[in-house]
Amino acid sequence: MATDLRISNISKIYPGCIANDNVSLQFKSGKIYALLGENGAGKSTLVKILSGVISPDNGEVFLNEKNLKLSSPLDAKKNKIGMVFQHFNLFETLSVFENLSIDATEDNKSLRVRINEILKKYNFSIDLDVPVLNLSAGQKQKVEIIRCLLRSPKVLIMDEPTSVLTEQETEELFISLKKFCDEGILIIYITHKLKEVLSLCDEVAVMRKGKVVSVSQTQNERVETLANKMVGQKLAKIKKKINVSKNKDEIFKVKHLNFYSDDPFETNLVNLNFSVKKGECLGIAGISGNGQNELFQILSGEIITPDTSIIFRNKEIAKLNPKQRREYLMAFSPEDRISQAAVPELKIYENVALNNFKSSNFFEKGLVNEKKIKEHSKKILSDFSVNTDNVELKSQFLSGGNLQKLILGRELITAPELLICYNPTWGLDVGAINYIHETLIKINDQEKSTILISTDTEELLKLSDKIAVIYKGKLSKIMPSEEVTPEKLGVLMGGGSID
Amino acid sequence: MIKIEKRNDVPMALYFFTPFIAIILTILGGGIIFYILGFNPIEALKFYFITPISNLYGFSELLLKATPLCLIAIGLSFCFKSNNWNIGAEGQLTFGAIVGGGVALLFYNQEGFYILPLVIIAGAIGGMIFALIPAILKTYFNTNEILVSLMLVYVSKLLLDYLVVGPWSNPEGFNFPETRQFSDSSRMPLLFEGLRIHAGIFLALAAVMLSWFILYKTYLGFQIKVSGLSLKTAKYAGFKGKTMILVVFMISGACAGLAGVGEITGPIGQLHRMISPDYGFTAIIVAFLGRLNPFGIIFASLVVALTYLGAETAQIFLQIPKYTGQVFQGMILFFLLASDYLLFFKVKILNLKKNELRH
Repeated sequence: MATDLRISNISKIYPGCIANDNVSLQFKSGKIYALLGENGAGKSTLVKILSGVISPDNGEVFLNEKNLKLSSPLDAKKNKIGMVFQHFNLFETLSVFENLSIDATEDNKSLRVRINEILKKYNFSIDLDVPVLNLSAGQKQKVEIIRCLLRSPKVLIMDEPTSVLTEQETEELFISLKKFCDEGILIIYITHKLKEVLSLCDEVAVMRKGKVVSVSQTQNERVETLANKMVGQKLAKIKKKINVSKNKDEIFKVKHLNFYSDDPFETNLVNLNFSVKKGECLGIAGISGNGQNELFQILSGEIITPDTSIIFRNKEIAKLNPKQRREYLMAFSPEDRISQAAVPELKIYENVALNNFKSSNFFEKGLVNEKKIKEHSKKILSDFSVNTDNVELKSQFLSGGNLQKLILGRELITAPELLICYNPTWGLDVGAINYIHETLIKINDQEKSTILISTDTEELLKLSDKIAVIYKGKLSKIMPSEEVTPEKLGVLMGGGSID
Repeated sequence: MIKIEKRNDVPMALYFFTPFIAIILTILGGGIIFYILGFNPIEALKFYFITPISNLYGFSELLLKATPLCLIAIGLSFCFKSNNWNIGAEGQLTFGAIVGGGVALLFYNQEGFYILPLVIIAGAIGGMIFALIPAILKTYFNTNEILVSLMLVYVSKLLLDYLVVGPWSNPEGFNFPETRQFSDSSRMPLLFEGLRIHAGIFLALAAVMLSWFILYKTYLGFQIKVSGLSLKTAKYAGFKGKTMILVVFMISGACAGLAGVGEITGPIGQLHRMISPDYGFTAIIVAFLGRLNPFGIIFASLVVALTYLGAETAQIFLQIPKYTGQVFQGMILFFLLASDYLLFFKVKILNLKKNELRH
């Protein structure tokens, strides 16, 4: 029987952000649909609504013209909507069979028979009695898929399924998905990888800032046209005058940066090389999860990689920890401001003391100099217009924007020569974003350098002097930002190549 | 449907008040147990909590038992505050007692003012070394410190067993599993004639003051605090994580070793199999009941020491097994964890039907 899934006028509003703005889409079985978009475009919200994890503020979902009430994941299951999330929901120490039997309604014997049928039908080779932790990421994903198939789904939603897979496993997945499709399962494929959309899907819906901006047949699309739709025609740059940095010294130079991790959720970095000149801002673009986390931690010294060379102000610093790097006048603003850059349970002045550089005298002879820290904190609060003057306040009571101002203030009050920041404005309101952008521009005007790792292309185009794109742990060539167009950026972020 | 939500702001005052609620609930719970066992609960509780400290001797016994609990718990607070789960204090206590006791046995027939300090230092070093084993394994081989430190408890107890029946057993001891008596110069000075309370209590008080200073006034204390709240932040700030793990384990082991040496040079006076009624494990309860705060730990060690005494008194007067002491200690921890849970989380009971209507 043909399946017809219709989403009608779905809206979901979070404080300060419209995640889904009047989204209407129609899907029919026999086709594979792509849902394409940047980070924060609203794909995940829509999928969570379809799988019953969150409820929309407005709008309805119809399956074969039946209005579905999806108020919990259980409702989605009952209505034969299956979902494979990017992060697996499996018990690592239980066997494959035990994992599959957890929410089964039949007895083990007939379940095993049914699982074996599925394995045979789709050519999956998985030993049912080994613990899940022994499986590769691709096999774990198959277990999740089997879990959905056991419920004979009408709709199968795959959320960024290839982010943890090897090329080989990706191919296998595509073959399986096409088979499911032929059998009449409606497949919705969520991704930001343009090539995958073109090779796998029949129809593509592009989302941007919570809205559906285009629905089209993939045969009429190319990598460039999709990239354009995904990133959008961004506003012209409001950037400071571009630095004439031709003859300036290279202040920071990274050579042979490699990183290998056993964790399938971490990204390996392959031979990154780049440099930053005095007063320059290097932007690193990319969809999140392409190695930005790992790159930030290596640049800050939280992860030390062997054989990498990092030269800062003519000194080799690759083996130094973050505190030692700060002594050489580097500063860091990590993405996770709530639980990494600051500790919510600590008071403002204690959070300020986290940046304990030598000349601060925060800790003299191993003792806490509370007076000094508090004086210094007061100065940060007023210089960076944080809306409190109470240094005893726990930082959990600061809004996101004020917390970020405090963190940037803490990092910048030492007048560092290089600031490395990672998504400095995510989740902030317009006012705070402007303030932070102005601050970052001011740093460059004072002949200090910045490295801006960001998933926000608009921000990168506004602030950077040169831009590179990171995709699957590899860095594209570094381009002067006046040569960069949103379209080029989109192609590179989606794994395409230019020229 | 039941929904559990985190409370946003928990008042500090209430945070320090909940241990009292836990104690009151423990007493009520104990009363109920006594009632079910067929005793008059009021009378039994009186024997448990009032009779033991109704005279000077009893009070001295209370301080005597609180001393090792307090010392160990102070040490443990360094570990727990920095997210290091050392639960092998009993082993560090035993090993400290073995090393300290070994030194005391070297001088069994000698006198001299220098002997006791040597014994005490040896005990602290012994505990420190024994605590370094799980710390080094954790930092350099990624082992789980909970398992390693716990397993080492049994290693040290078996070692002590071997020593007191084998090489160190008293040649004139008729094959009893015990060593010679230590000489008077290896014994903790008694504070009052006729009471067993000894100078070890000053070690505990010194540890309280010192730990308060380290935890709240030094860079080390700041690093411990930050690491305990967020390891990610500690890494980002560039704290030397490995060094800190080694240091907190050493502090913790030294305190446990001191407690062990205090027992054998204080009330016991020799080495034998039963040098500690699981002080090292009970001190974990003391540390949490005292909110990992040095002064809270003093109070908590007195309360928990009372459960030891009460159990002994109840055994004598009511023929209740003294193991009820452990029941009380267990209840304290249980009620503390339960009231903490309610302190940090709200439990909401939602009406499903209404909830559905809203969607």
